Amino acid sequence: MKTLVIIPCYNEEENLDRVIARLQKEYPAADYLVVNDCSTDSSEEVLRRGKYNYISLPVNLGIGGGVQSGYLYAVEKGYDITVQMDGDGQHNPKYLPAVIEPVANGQLDMCIGSRFIHKEGFQSSGARRFGIGFLSGLIRLLTGTKVLDVTSGFRACNKELTAFYAHNYAQDYPEPEAIVSGTLNGFKIGEAPVVMEERMGGQSSISPIKGAYYMVKVSIALVVHRLILRKKKGAK
Amino acid sequence: MLPELRIILLLGAIAYLLVILALLKKGKLNVQYSLIWLASAVVLIIFAAFPYTVYVLRDLLNIEVPANLVFLLLFIFVLALLLSLSTIVTGFASRIRKLTQTQALLEKRLRELEETLNKKE
Repeated sequence: MKTLVIIPCYNEEENLDRVIARLQKEYPAADYLVVNDCSTDSSEEVLRRGKYNYISLPVNLGIGGGVQSGYLYAVEKGYDITVQMDGDGQHNPKYLPAVIEPVANGQLDMCIGSRFIHKEGFQSSGARRFGIGFLSGLIRLLTGTKVLDVTSGFRACNKELTAFYAHNYAQDYPEPEAIVSGTLNGFKIGEAPVVMEERMGGQSSISPIKGAYYMVKVSIALVVHRLILRKKKGAK
Repeated sequence: MLPELRIILLLGAIAYLLVILALLKKGKLNVQYSLIWLASAVVLIIFAAFPYTVYVLRDLLNIEVPANLVFLLLFIFVLALLLSLSTIVTGFASRIRKLTQTQALLEKRLRELEETLNKKE
């Protein structure tokens, strides 16, 4: 199975080399694509020097538009499975097989790497866990899909869902919204346990102050999504 | 209504229409987006030239002060206009996104093409 690992990157000059080296060592079977979302640091320089496989967006689109470019690339090149993996080193490629397996054997259309199933490794702060728990409950209420780690950006999609996301991908709060839009369009979404690490270096893109505001906005966005999208049962 | 006020209102409404037409002529306003503006200018001119129409509308809707009817209509107009602007901006945003993504993918292909050409030489 042709597998592509999409690595969204915004100002990750410190982590890129390590992240890519680790990926090639742990999971050499997969191709990868770094999506440089108009970084303001020397990420592009690092990518060029390392002769890595990357695309560079001329304007900053945010995580949603960045990841979607990766999906477009996957469709263009005909990949069977696309995996999204953060560029900050939180996601260990050692767990790629665990995330890919349920998709490869047809059990799921999308499998999300979840740190909350076995509750091992980096668990994030209490406030964030509470927020994620709330969103998880909301998504379950809205769609019936049970996903614990709804904001996890470690996720594998099959070919059909990749094609769907290449043309309809939520832009503002992509991780939770993609679960809702995927489910409502008849795709099966589940989780696999993984262990996450704290980011290697650099700054996270979400500051703690923005957290509460983020929660309110995501919740409203999810409810709106549910209202505008009709549930397609069993349709693909 | 005082005749002076009526004249001022009429002149103001005509000036508004002329500004819109000037923008259209200079190509600073799309014909597509100008229709709603032109319509609003025409309505304002009618109201200023024939205040009687406002009185008739007021009686029909049972509003006490004619000015309130004008304000209500203006408010509805502005609200509709803002909403339509939001939809236009949304359309632009998604087009820009699509262009950005396509450009990035093309840039990658070009970069690779140049590399293979350089190797051959």
